[in-house]
Amino acid sequence: MTTLSLTVNGEPVRSEIDPRLSLADFLRENLALKGTHLGCEHGACGACTVVVDDMPMRSCITLAASCEGVRVTTVEGFDDDPVVTRLRQAFRDEHALQCGYCTPGMLATARDIVLRHDRPDVEQIRAELAGCICRCTGYRGIVRAIAHVIETKSQATEAKAGTT
Amino acid sequence: MTHTGVGASLPRKEDDRFLHGRGRYLADIEMPRMLDVAFVRSPLAHAEIVGIDKPEEAGERVFTARDMDGVAPIRPTSNVAGHRIVGSPPMALTRVRFVGEIIAACLAPNRAQAEDLAEQVVPDLKELPVVASIDAAMAEGAPLVHADWGTNLSMETRFDSGIEEQVARATVQVTRTLDMARQAMVPLEGKGALAHYDARDGQLVVYSSTQSPHMIRNALCQCLGLQQRQVRVVAPDVGGGFGYKAILHPEEVIVAWLALRLKRPVRWLEDRFEHLTAGANARQHRYRMTAHADDRGRILALDAVLTTDAGAYSIWPHTNGFDAIQASGILTGPYDIGGYRVRTMTVATNKPPLSPYRAVARPGACFAMETLVDAVARAVGRDPVDVRLENLVPAAAMPYKAITGKEYDSGDYPASLRRTRALVDAVSADPGPDRLIGTGYAVYTEHTAVSTATISQIGVQMMPGFEQAAALMQPDGSLEIRVGVQSHGQGMETTLAQIASEVLGIDPHRVSVRHGDTALSPYSTGTYASRAVVMTGGAVAAAADKLAFKLREIAAHMMQCTADDVRLEAGELVGPGASMTIEEAAVIWHFRPFDLPEELLRDGLEVTGGYRPDGDRAPFAYAAHAARVAVDPELGTVEVLDYVAVDDCGTRVNPMIVDGQVLGGVAQGIGTALFEEVPFDDQGQPLATTFGDYSVPAASEIPMIRLDHMETRSPYTRFGVKGVGEGGAIAPPAAVVNAINDALRSTGAELCAVPATPRRVLQAIFDAEDRAAGKKEAAR
Repeated sequence: MTTLSLTVNGEPVRSEIDPRLSLADFLRENLALKGTHLGCEHGACGACTVVVDDMPMRSCITLAASCEGVRVTTVEGFDDDPVVTRLRQAFRDEHALQCGYCTPGMLATARDIVLRHDRPDVEQIRAELAGCICRCTGYRGIVRAIAHVIETKSQATEAKAGTT
Repeated sequence: MTHTGVGASLPRKEDDRFLHGRGRYLADIEMPRMLDVAFVRSPLAHAEIVGIDKPEEAGERVFTARDMDGVAPIRPTSNVAGHRIVGSPPMALTRVRFVGEIIAACLAPNRAQAEDLAEQVVPDLKELPVVASIDAAMAEGAPLVHADWGTNLSMETRFDSGIEEQVARATVQVTRTLDMARQAMVPLEGKGALAHYDARDGQLVVYSSTQSPHMIRNALCQCLGLQQRQVRVVAPDVGGGFGYKAILHPEEVIVAWLALRLKRPVRWLEDRFEHLTAGANARQHRYRMTAHADDRGRILALDAVLTTDAGAYSIWPHTNGFDAIQASGILTGPYDIGGYRVRTMTVATNKPPLSPYRAVARPGACFAMETLVDAVARAVGRDPVDVRLENLVPAAAMPYKAITGKEYDSGDYPASLRRTRALVDAVSADPGPDRLIGTGYAVYTEHTAVSTATISQIGVQMMPGFEQAAALMQPDGSLEIRVGVQSHGQGMETTLAQIASEVLGIDPHRVSVRHGDTALSPYSTGTYASRAVVMTGGAVAAAADKLAFKLREIAAHMMQCTADDVRLEAGELVGPGASMTIEEAAVIWHFRPFDLPEELLRDGLEVTGGYRPDGDRAPFAYAAHAARVAVDPELGTVEVLDYVAVDDCGTRVNPMIVDGQVLGGVAQGIGTALFEEVPFDDQGQPLATTFGDYSVPAASEIPMIRLDHMETRSPYTRFGVKGVGEGGAIAPPAAVVNAINDALRSTGAELCAVPATPRRVLQAIFDAEDRAAGKKEAAR
């Protein structure tokens, strides 16, 4: 067993863990944060994506033991995040989810795309989503939702720039 | 109140919990003292089990088939004459017949420890010869999957309308052999089951990631010898199904048996490796098709042989023959064809069982028919859309009795194709340098919400032609709907509330839809075959009708008029001189019984409604699809530049959700067309074992699909709805391959198999080059 200290959704966590434990299993089994879903357990589908120190990461192929001192945010920890709040509304409006299983990973990935881009370029969004599998929606709603949030972000920035 | 009933694109009621990570899927359920299962699975495709070495300390932690004495084999039924079906034990007893077949179950407090234990269990297997393809299985003297059959041919059917007269009139014959590969279904959440014994209720409770809780209960009772009242099956949130979760999995029986044996909760969660290698697969059809046509490409007769590579066992309840039966019944598609002859062969191989996947056999049938139509168009030198328009059943012929005996209820097939062509032509696409561009079309018609008559003919243990729903008016006038179907992405918590709203005028946000639990709902065969909105939607409307009548009676008594004088308008009970709300009527029944006469009190405001379409007839949804692709003739790669679908699912209860169903289906169909395949080597070893080798399309592979709709009401269903869950997946393999062949027309190449991987595309180009070289050689 090894000792792990980190911050999860703003709360400090200290735990004794098996060195082979993945971050996903740590979140789900040790902390009962069931919103992080496992779709492949080999880093290919993106369902388990969480935010680690502001970077989206695949928690299924991240060893928990390698997360000493990091800040992890899961879908349960996004309620005060302004980008995810807008993404949630956009996902609803654009019917960007069906069974909901890929949704937490999609939100974590989409948040990162929104933060890094100022232009809602559909081709770029499609390319950036290449590591996230959704088996239900055909992706159009997800791409549109992300584009919409980028667009409104740009408009908000432009409006702000205009007033100063 | 704005319109919230049938036709409103209401945002989904289920979205909030999913967007906050508050869904509750099978793996999210934990119970005290729960054990996780890891299975020891066969590494060989065909072998005799000589022995199984267990670690000495294994005790009550490792179980094999010998421990499961008294558990009945999983035995699907069939009425098809001569259909050979074996009952398969949940764990292999003496012989394994595919890689991944279960040999032992290992239990531990978590999955990692269970896998550690499984590694110490060593089966002693004696290798037997393998048949891993149709050709190997049907070869003279082939090894037998089931020795006592004396053959690997599990089922054979024939249909012949008599085609001699049409063949004699035909001037053009076009023959093709078309292959659709075996693929996996890949719901993003794997299959899973958690069972425990509830001593208080005297019930085995099985949580299952399933589309069909009552069907799973039927099967568990058959295998375990329990009464139905002793078993409760609950489907929690289910992360995609697509047919994979509409069948019984042997793991469900094993987990249920273990929970009874150990008297503690036992759980199994399928991982992706298990899904891709051991899970039931889908598709794998081969068609030999001949069209007999006239000089204009009018198809007079179709002559077909269909062979399916069906794997080692029959899945429950559909059997291994379901694909062949369905394909042969729909192969002529949306066309008016006078003569039809078909022979089907369902062939056993040392591979996982074949299972119905979204749209079952229709993607294969549509692929075969629609690529053949394009080949006919090329043979007569006409535009493929024009040839289709000449062959399609015209709107004036509806309802149309097809040569297969099926009655197409309504619609305008040519109009959907014309509209699709106009949409495609309106947008130009630039393939860039060095790539070839092509456009392909496909049209299908789809028997949705399959009727009792259709299924009873083949004798499968599933009677889909009716549904029931319970509607329970609560004391405050809010409403609980209980249905036995299971919603796993289709948004039924929203659409069924909309249907209740349509009948009662109640705000959908005052309606809860409870689903997927045998303890809560009336009997149901579950969610499959694009049936829920037709069958369960009809049942919810029927229950709401009953409730409306009771509410009108209460209001009539209070208003001193007759129920006939009371109308239900937008949630108001309006009488000649007064009105009251539904809520007020509910309060009167529950809290002011002294105001009502005895006869209105006896039966409460909790009713069950049943439904089946008029005369047990089924609606036919249909669509025309078009793909525009760019092909790189050097690399063999294909990019879908544009995709258009114009579908008709009758009345759309929630147009936003309908769009989502079509879009998702098309994406899966593009996967079938271009990427997804579970190949096996000649020893039956699966070669795609991770998402590294099994390619599921991501957003980068799926274009921004464009949709349009026609809305022809079905004459047979409540509200005129037709099912829409599967349709999107039917046409893409055909449309994409027709587009590829259009792109390659200058090379003379013609692709006849999916998925159209670079290897297959290049092979088609090389073959064309060889043919051209051969011709030149011959000319010299």
